[in-house]
Amino acid sequence: MPQMSRRAVMAAPVLLAVPAAIPEAQAHAILRRSEPAAGATVPPGPLRIRIFFNSRIDHERSQILVAPARRGGGGTADEVRVELEPGMPVTEMAGTTQPLTPGAWRFRWQVLALDGHITRGDVFFTVAG
Amino acid sequence: MELFLDLYGFLSVVLRSLALIARSVTIGSLAYLLLLAGPLAARFQPQEAALMLDSARRVALAAGWATLGTTLLAVGLGTIALMGSLDVGLGPALGAGFVLSGAGVMGFTVLAMLALAPGGAPRGPRAGLLAVAGLGMLASAVAGSHAMAREDARAPMLAATALHQLGAALWLGGLPAFLAALRLPWAPAAAQAVGTRYSALAAAGVLCIIGGIIGFYLGYIGSPEGLYGTAYGAMSLTKSVLMGFLLLLGLGNFLLLHHFARGQAGSVLPRVRRFVECEVITGICVFGIAASLTSVPPAVDLPDDRVEWHEIVERFTPQAPRLISPDHRDLAIPNLQEQLNAEYQARQAPDRPQAFIPGEGLLPPRNAFDLAWSEYNHNIAGFIVLAVGLAALLDATRRVPLARHWPLLFMGLAAFLFLRSDPEAWPMGEISFLDSLRDPEALQHKLLSFLVVIFAVSEWLVRLSGKRTAAAFVFPLSMAAGGFLLLAHTHAIANIREALLVELSHLPLGAASVIAACARWVELRSEPESWLARLGRWTWPACLIFISLILIFYREA
Repeated sequence: MPQMSRRAVMAAPVLLAVPAAIPEAQAHAILRRSEPAAGATVPPGPLRIRIFFNSRIDHERSQILVAPARRGGGGTADEVRVELEPGMPVTEMAGTTQPLTPGAWRFRWQVLALDGHITRGDVFFTVAG
Repeated sequence: MELFLDLYGFLSVVLRSLALIARSVTIGSLAYLLLLAGPLAARFQPQEAALMLDSARRVALAAGWATLGTTLLAVGLGTIALMGSLDVGLGPALGAGFVLSGAGVMGFTVLAMLALAPGGAPRGPRAGLLAVAGLGMLASAVAGSHAMAREDARAPMLAATALHQLGAALWLGGLPAFLAALRLPWAPAAAQAVGTRYSALAAAGVLCIIGGIIGFYLGYIGSPEGLYGTAYGAMSLTKSVLMGFLLLLGLGNFLLLHHFARGQAGSVLPRVRRFVECEVITGICVFGIAASLTSVPPAVDLPDDRVEWHEIVERFTPQAPRLISPDHRDLAIPNLQEQLNAEYQARQAPDRPQAFIPGEGLLPPRNAFDLAWSEYNHNIAGFIVLAVGLAALLDATRRVPLARHWPLLFMGLAAFLFLRSDPEAWPMGEISFLDSLRDPEALQHKLLSFLVVIFAVSEWLVRLSGKRTAAAFVFPLSMAAGGFLLLAHTHAIANIREALLVELSHLPLGAASVIAACARWVELRSEPESWLARLGRWTWPACLIFISLILIFYREA
């Protein structure tokens, strides 16, 4: 089993959860690591986001939203949904953003695990000038 | 919608508990009918056979209705949450795995209820239908379990989950039907025959549960460190302690049923009923933890940042309790509330997508004063509970008439909890009483305060009257409900060390509350001066004193 990255654990407090109610479902999908990682700096332009989870996820009912970083808020009006790549492994999802301009950004992932739990979280990163 | 989603985290755990209990009782009652009542009916007199079959059928039907209701509610709320959070319509949401799993459970429940409609002993195709329905409910539930989402070893974990749930259904799920049989107006020898056979069913259930536990340990916990260093492990451990208590009760039943001659059945059966009633109370709380366990990731998925053994030893080494409250003005919480209020206002802007996550998953910033506030609350509450426990012990001696007023001490505890548990809310803080209820934690605190008041008043009246009226059962039921809330409350989904260390002290409180509830129940339901009543009378004050000591030495840093 791949080790969960230290950053993913440090990002744990920002994991946001709405446990979907199914009888005797257990636990949530949690983020093992992401590309880009939290706090990473990436070059400007389109960005491929790839996220690795500990659980099998329902790709049809999962999403990645990207937006300029605004810490402390919920969703933002300028969020753009990233089209997910088909054919990804059962515990991963990926998609490529529109070209990103320099500045602070974040992507918000939300997944429905096959056990029925919804989990989401934010990963903050910087696009270099 | 905002309020619904704010409360959803807590509601979902409670709903999962209720759905799990109802489903287990349905499956357990079907197994009871097929493996116990059906075969025994052939050996009984027709009238006794009809009584036994009808009582089990009624329990199964009632549990079936409860399964339909709770599952529909749980799936419905989950669907609304998915639609609200993903911004999708009903159609796509209905295709989600948990909806299909719930639909499967409900479909097989309806099949079982239809097959139960005719009454009489289940034989031939009807018995086959009932078996298919029970196994179908189990398979549907397992198909929505966490095992389904595992990346590795999915098949063995599905098998472990199925085994565990089957065992729980055979043993705990069969208890209501067994209890109904014990209450029937028939010859004690017939009830004892039912009990002897139920023991075998329960023993098979225990074996299945143990098999499931071995699978869970290997697949979800993985090491002793995972057991005490993560929320999943600690909750599993608490569940095991309560399971141990259940096993003791079951062993008591087994000995009573198997080692007494038939002629003594009349005197033995009331004691068996007391044990079974306690098993039901404890079983409900065990299901509560089981449902709560579903809200935390398995220990193996959190290899880093676990709590170390030496940290637990350090935290639980007694130190002088805190006897002076910090000043409310020094708390960080009002500052945090300003920030949260601003965020809430921002989310109300029309161009924003629907907000849907309670509390945003962020731990509030805490400083030394926050910790001192919480520690002081717990420590002082501990002294009040200690006074209650000691007064109740004095009352148990029957030599100090004044001690019978001990329930009034609990009013002080209720007032203390209500005033101090949420300093950011009315009457100490700026947030109004109603607004504060949006916070699941504050809601739980208020519910607990309310429970304490109900308990204190009713128990005091009971002590004054000296009679065993229905009000006397408010105490054990309040204790059980308090234990259930402590064990089944919502948890942080990741391994937040401080939260886990706090959790480690709250789990024994919940377990002790459940045991105290059972002890008081037994005292009330047994002959006043029987050994069982005396055992209960001394046990529950001891549990209260145990609880008080945890609270008096409670620390958060």
